[in-house]
Amino acid sequence: MKLIVCLDDKNGMAFNRRRQSRDRVLIEDLCRTVGEEPIYLSPYSASLFASTGAKTVAVVDPLGVSGVHCCFVETFDPAPYGELIDEIILYRWNRHYPADVTFTLDMSGYRLISADEFVGSSHEKITKEVWKK
Amino acid sequence: MKMKRTLALLCLLLALVMSLSSCFGENPYGGTTEITTTEQNKPIGPITGIPEGNEIPALTKPTLNLSSIPTYTGSPYTPINQNLPQFNENQYTTQSYEYYSALDSLGRCGIAVACVGIDLMPTEPRDSISSVTPSGWNNKEYSTDLVENGWIYKRCHLIGFQLTGENANKNNLITGTRSFNVDGMLPFENMIADYVKETENHVLFRVTPIYNGNDLVASGVQMEAYSIEDAGEGVSFNVYVYNVQDGIEINYANGDNWLSGSYVPPVDGGNGGNEQGDYVLNTSNKKIHRPTCYAVEDIAAHNKQTYTGTLDALYSQGYTGCGHCDP
Repeated sequence: MKLIVCLDDKNGMAFNRRRQSRDRVLIEDLCRTVGEEPIYLSPYSASLFASTGAKTVAVVDPLGVSGVHCCFVETFDPAPYGELIDEIILYRWNRHYPADVTFTLDMSGYRLISADEFVGSSHEKITKEVWKK
Repeated sequence: MKMKRTLALLCLLLALVMSLSSCFGENPYGGTTEITTTEQNKPIGPITGIPEGNEIPALTKPTLNLSSIPTYTGSPYTPINQNLPQFNENQYTTQSYEYYSALDSLGRCGIAVACVGIDLMPTEPRDSISSVTPSGWNNKEYSTDLVENGWIYKRCHLIGFQLTGENANKNNLITGTRSFNVDGMLPFENMIADYVKETENHVLFRVTPIYNGNDLVASGVQMEAYSIEDAGEGVSFNVYVYNVQDGIEINYANGDNWLSGSYVPPVDGGNGGNEQGDYVLNTSNKKIHRPTCYAVEDIAAHNKQTYTGTLDALYSQGYTGCGHCDP
């Protein structure tokens, strides 16, 4: 499974059941990266893709759906699903936000394939990392 | 007797009129607006910048009892009221505005509230704000091992510059520690700023400094935010941010501050713990100073002691180094 997440400087993901941040340019990059592949996500996350034309499948527990290949997660820690995840696309905001949900997936079994930076619409620098098992 | 009774009646009437008049602020767009505040129901000054026809801005709020806040245990902030902001629905508006309370009689900031929209956000870099001296501004320099850049205090915007572009507005700047500013308040401001830039929606944002009695330095601030157009789906929180700095104790009454007795200086800091040196000790607060430190002059004669020896020996007796001269 391919996991896509966004993290702040302290690996934070969400606060009070809401995403820490958003960026139009990041979503465009995500859609280009995924291509025609359907993105499984929560109903909360679906609105980010409303005008992108991306194929999205909104389900309550996207990581819990068997056979899913691409999953975008914002408001819960995917660590319990680590064994199912063989690729991670990790966007770093390079900013600090409040967090009560943190990304704790053990990355020791993954290797960094690429790291690139780009300018977002409201973020000076977004770092995109691709990790694979 | 009659004269006295008449005078007393007149005084009572005058007090009543003054009391009533101070409970209403002038709305520049017409009419008057009732204003109540946070803790003691004090009047907090005229409203400015409120679009005509709108409801009262979010000045009226439940009192936050400082004793209800959990003791600081290392997290820069803690949720209040299950993270639900305590606005009233009639305070919601999609028109941007900003409001900063006038300073109180002690020179302290009060509630600041803004309906943050893209039109309020700054388009120019921030100007200097060093001309403002917030209440309790008793800044001191410490080791950079303890405080990034050394100085404990920053002039902290209640409503962050990135949200409303306020520069040296004395009604919007309080004395806050670096940790309070950078780790406590800034992350929440970032969250709001990003959301507004990305959606061009509005966020109702209220920051209330919380003082214990007549303290000049706020113990912390309550920060509440709610995104209007999507009914809080994008942004919604209610938190208390602690005005603290690890390793440093603060007298909130006047802003004085000093190294915490529990602080252990880094091994490679200062002159090195095992090197012999000449120092001046304050036997009252167990501080170690270099002989050239400006603070030496202020040590009472009966508490002052010269010392030649190692710092390690002093640390073992419970002494800690002065944050200014960093022995």
